[in-house]
Amino acid sequence: MRFLVKRLLLFAAALVGVSMLVFAALRILPGDVAVVMAGTNASASRVAELRAEFGLDRPYTVQYLDWAGGLLHGDLGMSALTGRSVAAQVGRRAAITFPLIVMSLVVALAVGLPLGCAASIARSPRLRGFLRVLAIAGGAVPALWSGLLLLLLFGRGVGLIGLFPSQGFPADGWSGDPVRAFASLILPALATGFVAAAGIMRYTRSALDDIASDGGPVDMAMACGMTRTQAMLQVGLRLATPQLVSVVGLTFASMITGVMVIENLFALPGLGALLVGDVGNRDLVAVESELFLLAAFFLILGLIVDLTHRALDPRLAAGEEE
Amino acid sequence: MPERAEQGENMSQNNGVHGEAGATSTSTASTDASLNARAKTPKGGNRAGRSGNGKGPKWWLWSLIAVIVVSALVVGVNAFFTNKQNGGNGSASTGGTAAAKQADTVSIGLKLAPVNLDIRHQSGSALEQILIGNVYESLVSRGSDNKVHPGLAKSWEISDDGLTYTFHLNEHMTFSNGDALDADDVAWSINELKANKYYNYDQVKNLDKAEAVDSKTVKITLSAPDSNMLWYLTGRPGLVYDKDGTWDEKTGALGSGPYTVSSFDPSDKIVFKANPKYWGTEHKAKTENVIIRFLPDDNAGINALKSGDVQVLSPITATLAEPFRKDSNYVVKEGDGSDKFVLAFNMTNPKLTDKRVRQAIRYGIDHQQIIASRGGVDSPLGGPIPKVDPGYEDLTDLYPHDEAKAKQLMAEAGYSESKPLQLTLTYANVYGTELGDQLKSQLKPIGIDLKINYVEFSTWLQDVHTNGDYDLSLVDHAESHDFYKWATPSYYYHYDSKEVQDLYAKALAATSDDEASKYLAQAAKIVSEDAPADWLFSWRVTQAYAKGVSGYPENLSQTVLPLWQVTYTPVK
Amino acid sequence: MAVTKPTPARRARVILDTMWSSGTGRYALVVLALWALVALVSLFWTPLPLLATDGYHVWAAPSADHWLGTDGTGADVLSWLMAGSRTNLVIAGLTVIGSAALGLLLVGLMVARSTALASVSVAVVDALISIPTVLIALLLAVPFGASAAVVVGACSIAYGLNLARVARPAALLAARSQYVESARANGAGGLRVLVQHIVPNITPVLAVQLSMSAGTSVLAEAGLTYLGVGVGAGVPSWGHSLSTSVKLINVFPLTVLWPGLVVTLVVIALNLFGDALRDAGDPVANPLLREA
Repeated sequence: MRFLVKRLLLFAAALVGVSMLVFAALRILPGDVAVVMAGTNASASRVAELRAEFGLDRPYTVQYLDWAGGLLHGDLGMSALTGRSVAAQVGRRAAITFPLIVMSLVVALAVGLPLGCAASIARSPRLRGFLRVLAIAGGAVPALWSGLLLLLLFGRGVGLIGLFPSQGFPADGWSGDPVRAFASLILPALATGFVAAAGIMRYTRSALDDIASDGGPVDMAMACGMTRTQAMLQVGLRLATPQLVSVVGLTFASMITGVMVIENLFALPGLGALLVGDVGNRDLVAVESELFLLAAFFLILGLIVDLTHRALDPRLAAGEEE
Repeated sequence: MPERAEQGENMSQNNGVHGEAGATSTSTASTDASLNARAKTPKGGNRAGRSGNGKGPKWWLWSLIAVIVVSALVVGVNAFFTNKQNGGNGSASTGGTAAAKQADTVSIGLKLAPVNLDIRHQSGSALEQILIGNVYESLVSRGSDNKVHPGLAKSWEISDDGLTYTFHLNEHMTFSNGDALDADDVAWSINELKANKYYNYDQVKNLDKAEAVDSKTVKITLSAPDSNMLWYLTGRPGLVYDKDGTWDEKTGALGSGPYTVSSFDPSDKIVFKANPKYWGTEHKAKTENVIIRFLPDDNAGINALKSGDVQVLSPITATLAEPFRKDSNYVVKEGDGSDKFVLAFNMTNPKLTDKRVRQAIRYGIDHQQIIASRGGVDSPLGGPIPKVDPGYEDLTDLYPHDEAKAKQLMAEAGYSESKPLQLTLTYANVYGTELGDQLKSQLKPIGIDLKINYVEFSTWLQDVHTNGDYDLSLVDHAESHDFYKWATPSYYYHYDSKEVQDLYAKALAATSDDEASKYLAQAAKIVSEDAPADWLFSWRVTQAYAKGVSGYPENLSQTVLPLWQVTYTPVK
Repeated sequence: MAVTKPTPARRARVILDTMWSSGTGRYALVVLALWALVALVSLFWTPLPLLATDGYHVWAAPSADHWLGTDGTGADVLSWLMAGSRTNLVIAGLTVIGSAALGLLLVGLMVARSTALASVSVAVVDALISIPTVLIALLLAVPFGASAAVVVGACSIAYGLNLARVARPAALLAARSQYVESARANGAGGLRVLVQHIVPNITPVLAVQLSMSAGTSVLAEAGLTYLGVGVGAGVPSWGHSLSTSVKLINVFPLTVLWPGLVVTLVVIALNLFGDALRDAGDPVANPLLREA
């Protein structure tokens, strides 16, 4: 319980810290939304008027409190440029980014988990070595590059075997033709998924190895007549579950930022494109809120992962409380 | 992408965070036993490894099976999608009937999206391109020939002193909400522009006031003659809004044009629906729905064109259009425009006040080569006025590519390849690295060491445009009729020539178009000779569209894009 | 671990030998040596000068004159890749230094004796880690323009934070150990404790993390340059070569192969290098080192 309170307090402190940092970092940047809006024909007085209209001439503390006050009420603010609420914009983009991440995660688990188990159970040093190199090499491939290779192999119109839509997202998104929308996320999901699979694989192997070297449960299962493979997969994997949950959580979180380049390569109008565009336009309120959301999401996910981990593995709670 | 690679370590860091510091070393020790073994006997390692390896083959088998299953799944799933896709396409494009019939929807892929629809405040030619002539109409309209045509006014008279314009409006005009459009709306719109300093109000600073003489006649009074006045009234200053209408300015639009906006998302598309209450007959929309998709990524644009998501793609990089030229299902065309790629030399910078240096740069640049590398479509431009504007004349002979002459001028100014002049070129990253690389390479032999400051567009706006803090700057000036920038010393060019300013004043005061063009041409020639900038090329827009599309504007399509006559009849 | 230390030179020799004797280690060493060699050679010689652009022969296929073809300005792809290797080498090197400095500083704070300081820094690091590298670079690129410095800065910050988080548990164990207590009792300051006692204990983690961040800096350079905020125009880098060819993938799909291949081979080598170094430098795993 004390742990929970402590974590929550830290969580709140971190959020406040992030909000201040994000705010300050963005105010240092040269250029502002008024200049962008005024364009190449603008006079200085026009820019000044726009600045006043957006409230950019107010003291920073007032601007910060205004924004942070809105956050407390769950109001992420309005984008100065598009006149839409930041929440709506983020929601629209998330409808592409989140399915992409979930699909990538499925790919990562489907590839990484079995290979990780294989790497741990395999006894042949050559095979182990091979799988180890595979894990490292997999993690070393730039997503930009794996995406390109996938395009060159399977992209329709570009690749050798044109199986999947290459770049872009269908005109009507999910509401129009969901199957096509789904299909256009396949290559990007494979590109990110394969790279993430390398991480899942490494982690699965190391978790299983720990349990095996710990002796106890796996040995006991084998004594009860299971083969080593059976023991590892049935007992070992179950014991490794808490740690695997953490991995999945953190992979998920890190993918949100990790898909930015892939979204760009595959021309998907997701969260990454939104952030890049808003920074480019100096749409400060929008960028602030988007970054804040991102940080909050990470922190919440971290919290959830931590708590699940503890719930699944009571040993930990006992260990750290002292 | 950078984050992806950290994945591997995120795993072990997670491991650490949750209190299992030992995990890293234990796993190392156990997995890498094989390495240990090999370390001891470097040569025999492999053989030693292979022995005592009873389960090995089985695992290879398992992996093999897994790979096969996965690939089978991939192929299967996707064969399904391919079929689905083809089926879907077929029915969509023919509309279910076999005969060639005009489609009720045309989709157009454009590169630049306006961030909002607030045409009274927001800068950017994308906004004018999309809305003017389609949703909003101006007092007089602009054609793809860049000339003034009748618009809401069917005719007009200009007094002999050039100070009074009388416009006669069309009969029975309405806005798309049904409100009548009469002289009151026109006068109100123009006076509001002046009073509230809406975007581009300064283009018509000689306009004193507008008044409704009667419901069909508008009189505009000028404080000084202005030969550009009519042309500017074809753009934002001449737009007529509903005095009594209300709409969300950033996300919607309410005008009198042939189309209405039915939805707008800056990250995706704007959807036009034919205006059922359109007052005119001449510009009535020929296609019920027009969808403009924003496809900032070239490759995504090409795929959208190939898959039939859009029927028109404009602009398309000339090099990327090559495959479509060879494909009989598509038409590829180029159109003239007012886009000028201006390499401006900061005239207040001591390094560039020496005219010889500026001239040397102009002689040193091989424009033909730059144009060739971009696909050979763009046309060379020797001065500040593009082909589509009044006052244009071919000035490319003033500074032909002449490396020897450039070297000589630089030598006179005291620089050489071994003792180069250091200059920094600031330009926005939307134009790609190639132009910077090429300029750097072309200017090196004449004795200029070019550093490139490759920035975001908004940084360029702040540093170069607003603060005038630069040596060389490269930007695409898309606007037409923008010669005034060379007659305005406070503009970021900082070009200050009394002679040019006088000629420009004369051109404005001229009462005939020919006279105005004559003065403009003289002024342009002086500017070009003075070499306050180099004009790399005049960008010509390449567009590709599916066979069966007709009526898509060819010239000036980056600024004037009347869509009422666009139709698409799928070809079998 | 408290064995008497052999001379550093001999230690290094043993470590290198051990790495060389494993297949992956040998691959890593060979690739990295080649990288350094090419970077060095490119200072004095490239097949064609970098600025030999030719607008009339852009995107040419490989030929006797241009072994890997030409790019969008008509310059020689091989020459640009060779010259790019030194930019990437510098970026990788500076990123390692930068992220090590920031990481160790944060580790020091996170294991500080003041619980308030420690828990606040843990929370801050946790929160900051959520800000994507790409975004840090975007922000840095605003005042500085696209340049190698932006890549180094963004990578150093991002990987420094990462390093701190990964190294914290091991550092914490060391910081709470008996010998640190006694060192403190003898009046050792925070910095001395960090350098003398904590750093040696997290060396294995450092080795892996730092070589990983060198590798990731190469990836980041490619990604950021692709997004227009990495290395700018006029400066050769692998990301520059990669991103200019990506734009024309629909017409010239194969030009993108070369830079992509180089990046992948080098990053794999850097990651393997970290692992091999950790294994070879760990006396528990490497018996030869114990004998030495």
